[in-house]
Amino acid sequence: MNYGPLVFLTAFVALSASWFGFVLTPQIQIGRLTESTNTLNTAELYPKARPGQAAQGLQVYRANGCAACHTQQTVQEGTSIDVYLLEVGTNAAAVATALVNANVGFTRIDDPGFFLNLPKNILPGTTIEAAKRAFKGAQSAGAKAQIRINPQGPDIARHWGVRGSVAADYLFDQPVMLGSQRVGPDLSNVGARLPDVNWHLLHLYAPQQVVKGSLMPPHRFLFNVSKAGQHPSPDALQVPPEVAPAPGYEVVPKPEALALAAYLVSLNSSTPVFETPMTLASSATSTNSPAK
Amino acid sequence: MSQSIKRSAPASPSSSQPLLKEPAFPIWLIVFLTLLLYAGAVYFDGHGSGFHPQVYAPYSSYTQLADLQITGPPNPLEIGFRVYHKPSCVSCHQASGAGSPGQFPPLVGSEWVQEPEPGRIIRAVLNGLQGPISVKNQQYNNAMVAWGGVFSDEEIAAVITYIRQNKDWGNNAPAVTADRVKAVREKIKGHPGPFTADELLKIPAAD
Ligand code: HEC
Ligand code: HEC
Repeated sequence: MNYGPLVFLTAFVALSASWFGFVLTPQIQIGRLTESTNTLNTAELYPKARPGQAAQGLQVYRANGCAACHTQQTVQEGTSIDVYLLEVGTNAAAVATALVNANVGFTRIDDPGFFLNLPKNILPGTTIEAAKRAFKGAQSAGAKAQIRINPQGPDIARHWGVRGSVAADYLFDQPVMLGSQRVGPDLSNVGARLPDVNWHLLHLYAPQQVVKGSLMPPHRFLFNVSKAGQHPSPDALQVPPEVAPAPGYEVVPKPEALALAAYLVSLNSSTPVFETPMTLASSATSTNSPAK
Repeated sequence: MSQSIKRSAPASPSSSQPLLKEPAFPIWLIVFLTLLLYAGAVYFDGHGSGFHPQVYAPYSSYTQLADLQITGPPNPLEIGFRVYHKPSCVSCHQASGAGSPGQFPPLVGSEWVQEPEPGRIIRAVLNGLQGPISVKNQQYNNAMVAWGGVFSDEEIAAVITYIRQNKDWGNNAPAVTADRVKAVREKIKGHPGPFTADELLKIPAAD
């Protein structure tokens, strides 16, 4: 018996099914994604196209294989919901009653210390329904409360990002530098924690000078070491003595290095979007923790 | 390879065709695979959210996500924080609001920032500010660019509210509304270029 047509048909069905599933459906779903208004400030669109120099920096990032050691994708594994009491208002007893009546786990609030040291997290790790009930109750009794939604996960705990990455974050990137190995920290939000272009330039030139024991290879070929001469370049990098060139010479970043630094500074995915609801803390945490 | 030959050799020495006395595919395996498929489908149904493009792990349905969108007026202090750190103001006045001596005046404790009526600093931020100015008894003579073209009324109002009410800085002055910024924008339409401190001081505070 000749199985040729059957084999052909089977292969055709299998391939077209995967094409539908992996190419066509995602294209229909997010292929026409555009900037949208974010949830915090509806006047503002997210994401914004990268400025020209930063867009060129993406190509430098790609050409130098930074994606071999760095991902650009933070993972969110959960969400915790807290209710903060900001101000009690004039009638603390009414607020206490309202919170008890909201049926969120308080059986009685008679400790006057409960209303001290505000703002205070009165319902850590609750559900959204309970949070909304407590919020309504507190508000009707004249208190000020806030529901805070905090994305959770190991990446977020490391301050690599404030929320999980979503498709919109990569809207203007071509190609998307997701990366797959984390020899170094995730960079999807590096512009928010390290907003200084000079930090990045020096880090590219001499990582070990900036971060003790850094495993990142220096990228000195992105810099020119040239005679300072009579008119030192205004762009020249201030380098620590350990890695300074011979006296009379200066380290000048090439355009590639400047573009790359501009790109790194533009990597910022801390805007809240519909896909990952969150409440921004009123002060940014900017810790620079290398991968452990 | 050699193993499979060894295994099949003694199976049916007489005939080359194996006889199908019982189903080649055991019935228990069919049942097991069906159950597995069923469990998979149930899991998928619970977690896949119908392939909705806006639903990502850890969320499993659109309604769950919609529930978490806390609607209500956005907190101007949070918008202001973000406008301040765009990076815009932060590059000169610093995250601490302390500015830098002799160059950029502080916003912390500044009498300009904390004026009860915000009319003057709205003007300074909208159109920019240049020339000699005294802030906290220190003289500065520098220039600040105009922000009116960069930010909307809401954002200007939010950032000014943020610098006026920043508790970490010890500032505490009334909030500024977007309507107020809009009104000031109208009034200074005819004023090209940045203001100077002297000019601002001549404007009535409540204007
Ligand atoms: C061999 C792997 C490797 C390569 C390739 C590499 N890095 Fe790194 N990178 C690291 C490691 C390890 C760290 C953490 C130590 C440190 O901060 O220097 C790091 C840290 C960083 C940081 C600081 C992140 C933070 O949050 O502290 C930046 C920015 C960065 N790398 C950018 C780049 C860029 C841009 C490139 C491409 C030119 C690149 N890296 C190539 C390994 C690498
Ligand atoms: C380019 C640096 C720069 C940036 C960016 C900048 N400022 Fe200024 N700012 C100045 C300088 C310089 C002065 C003093 C101008 C003068 O000498 O007349 C000033 C003065 C002020 C004053 C009045 C003096 C005081 O300290 O109270 C306020 C208020 C102020 N800026 C607010 C802002 C706000 C809000 C932003 C962000 C939207 C901002 N500035 C961004 C440089 C800057």
